[in-house]
Amino acid sequence: MSQRQLAMVMDLNKCIGCQTCTVSCKTQWTNRNGREYMYWNNVETYPGEGYPKKWQELGGGFDEAGDLKAGVVPSLQGEYGVPWDYNHDELASGAAFKPHVDPKWGPNWDEDEGAGDFPNDNYFFYIPRICNHCTNPGCLSACPRDAIFKRDQDGVVLVDLDRCQGYRYCIAGCPYKKIYFNPRISKSEKCILCFPRIEKGLPPACAQQCVGRIRFVGFLDDEEGQVYKLVKKFKVALPLRPDYGTESNVYYVPPTEAPPKFDASGKIIEGSERIPPEVLEKLFGKEVHEAARTLRAEMKKRKETGESELMDLLIAYKHEDMFRLDGNYYAEYAKSKGMPVIKPVDERYLSGKFTAKMTFFTKGAHA
Amino acid sequence: MKTFKTIMMLVSLLGLNSLMAQSLNALHVKEDLSKVSLTSPLWQKAKAQSVEVYPQTTIEMNDAELVRANEANLAKILHVKTLSDGKSVAFLLQWKDKTKSLQTVQSTTDYSDGFAVQFSTANDKLPYIGMGSENRAVIVHLQKATGTIFEPNNSGDVYHQVNTSNQNTFAKELTSYKNEVAKQGSGDYQRAFIAEGFRSMTQIRDNAEPSLMEMKYDKGMWSALLVRPLKSEHLSLQDSFPVAFAIWDGEKKNRDGSKLLSAWVGVSLDAKAKALALLDEVKGDASNGETLMMENCSACHQYKTVKNAPNYMAPNLSNIGGYANASYLKESIMEPSAVVVPGYNLNAHKNFLWYTSDEKGVRTSTMPPFAHLDEKSVNDLVAFMKTLKVEVEK
Ligand code: SF4
Ligand code: SF4
Repeated sequence: MSQRQLAMVMDLNKCIGCQTCTVSCKTQWTNRNGREYMYWNNVETYPGEGYPKKWQELGGGFDEAGDLKAGVVPSLQGEYGVPWDYNHDELASGAAFKPHVDPKWGPNWDEDEGAGDFPNDNYFFYIPRICNHCTNPGCLSACPRDAIFKRDQDGVVLVDLDRCQGYRYCIAGCPYKKIYFNPRISKSEKCILCFPRIEKGLPPACAQQCVGRIRFVGFLDDEEGQVYKLVKKFKVALPLRPDYGTESNVYYVPPTEAPPKFDASGKIIEGSERIPPEVLEKLFGKEVHEAARTLRAEMKKRKETGESELMDLLIAYKHEDMFRLDGNYYAEYAKSKGMPVIKPVDERYLSGKFTAKMTFFTKGAHA
Repeated sequence: MKTFKTIMMLVSLLGLNSLMAQSLNALHVKEDLSKVSLTSPLWQKAKAQSVEVYPQTTIEMNDAELVRANEANLAKILHVKTLSDGKSVAFLLQWKDKTKSLQTVQSTTDYSDGFAVQFSTANDKLPYIGMGSENRAVIVHLQKATGTIFEPNNSGDVYHQVNTSNQNTFAKELTSYKNEVAKQGSGDYQRAFIAEGFRSMTQIRDNAEPSLMEMKYDKGMWSALLVRPLKSEHLSLQDSFPVAFAIWDGEKKNRDGSKLLSAWVGVSLDAKAKALALLDEVKGDASNGETLMMENCSACHQYKTVKNAPNYMAPNLSNIGGYANASYLKESIMEPSAVVVPGYNLNAHKNFLWYTSDEKGVRTSTMPPFAHLDEKSVNDLVAFMKTLKVEVEK
């Protein structure tokens, strides 16, 4: 376990599915060299099969006894979909516009489809997904090479590319399928929570760029922080699929504000819930009902009295209020713990540490 | 069961558990081996000897498809030819594989066939067969049948990238970069590693353990070559030394510990060399060993049809007789913490820990030492454990 944990809260009531987060991540980290198909951040429509396709059915995570469950490594052809290009260059000479492969699946394939009968009871909402930087990561547990590590300073889960041999057990072990295989370099890669940015006091790109301002970032033990208050104090932010047992550190304020249902004559059915409660329970656990009650009660309170700390938090009047990061945190923290000050880019992530001229191991120096 | 017992008793009484170590005799040649290839006529002079390789079943990995594909795995025969010129040693390995599997750059689920040859840096005690053990490091030469693979510069460097959209500024540099990448960025996947126990395996990149490797697939048969010096920075191979082999079948999603591996076998560089005593088998009553195993071991270990113990409680011993040497089995009975197979990360087994691990990563087995057993019982147990292995594929 890491000594502190950085976490993200996403308010699903505010996500507009614009994919700005996806694009900010893609252009920053994963636009080339075998990462073409990777979406460290993706936003999927729920109900929907997601990315990779049917990820919730591909196994991984832990069983009730705490043992790792077997999982499946998704295929590029079937579950991710082969990324495609168009024949832009040929268009000028009159060719028809066409993709270079026959697309079968991709991120956002079933965008906005949802479920139910329009306009009576149809519904959908968006779920943006990144690596959850789990407290008990399935990916880390499954790696036989100890190539995945969780940083002490902030609990960020990273792959040491020098140790990774491309075995892909991590991918089978992550129930969220948020770790990807790069076939060009034969190594696994994943969301790094923009650690080079957070070490400078900047939020991850997906959070900073978010148009709907749905993302809060801060340390879980920072009692003054929004993340602490949403997760621990008000308990309205919940992990996705807590039954996977990985103890995720990305939390979601569940979507509660869908319109009511209409009856056959088009009249509002009082007290109806368009998003079935059992759907939310599957995604966020039993706690979702209490979270929804709290949210509604606070909304009511706000309406009646004009006061609600929770509503003020969720409205997030000022953008910078959403991020509790400090440019000096990493240096100060390291000093206080007698640890070496982290370099702008984590050294363990760079080549060098394991590539120096070999000397024999010293006793007990390795796990 | 009864017939099995009778057979076992006969086997042990007849002393078929050979007491002598298996030994590969290297043919001495005058030619310089550092230039030998798979097709070299030198190989025609050498006699092939067989080495059995068994499916690794000590721990089960968490890839559901891999587990399914390997359920009914049998052992295979490796045909091994060995040459030495006094400076280098060369191995030619051949084995049957119905499918040629390569890892490609267009797939997330392809795995390649491959092979590895493992050497021990310690000459007095055997390292653990898989990854070596504390103070008993192993050197592993590995080749995967990837064909030519692409890396930005073919030296494991994944960091230096040039954004190809920036043509205005970098057009010229990009062209020369691309040419350079095309020139350097494709080669076979060959690696040398050093390991001193699980999770310590580290790639050797400074050519301190140089080698020549080659793989070729023809008509359902892989041929693989390794040539390396007898003396190098970490190794000094003399007269007789232990070596171990492993092969991977990409079709069955093999990689890492999911492979077929041999026990340590001896290599003699000249016919007069003494066989290695540390590879000696033991003489024991396997039938009594079976009873002892049931009484002492089956509450924690699963093996073959005996599955009294819950999953993950302790390493599975179903093929232990195929890839473990008697000395290792003895050591593990008397001193379980000498080598601790880590299984999955500790996070995965909250209920049954087969070992604990301190902050320095030193593992202590939860198995108590069985040093109270008398010598005969230990030998009987080991004799039985040596029978625990699947059949060899026809
Ligand atoms: S979400 Fe998946 S990849 Fe990320 S830490 Fe958890 S198990 Fe690992
Ligand atoms: S940028 Fe924000 S609002 Fe837009 S899809 Fe991403 S999380 Fe949702």
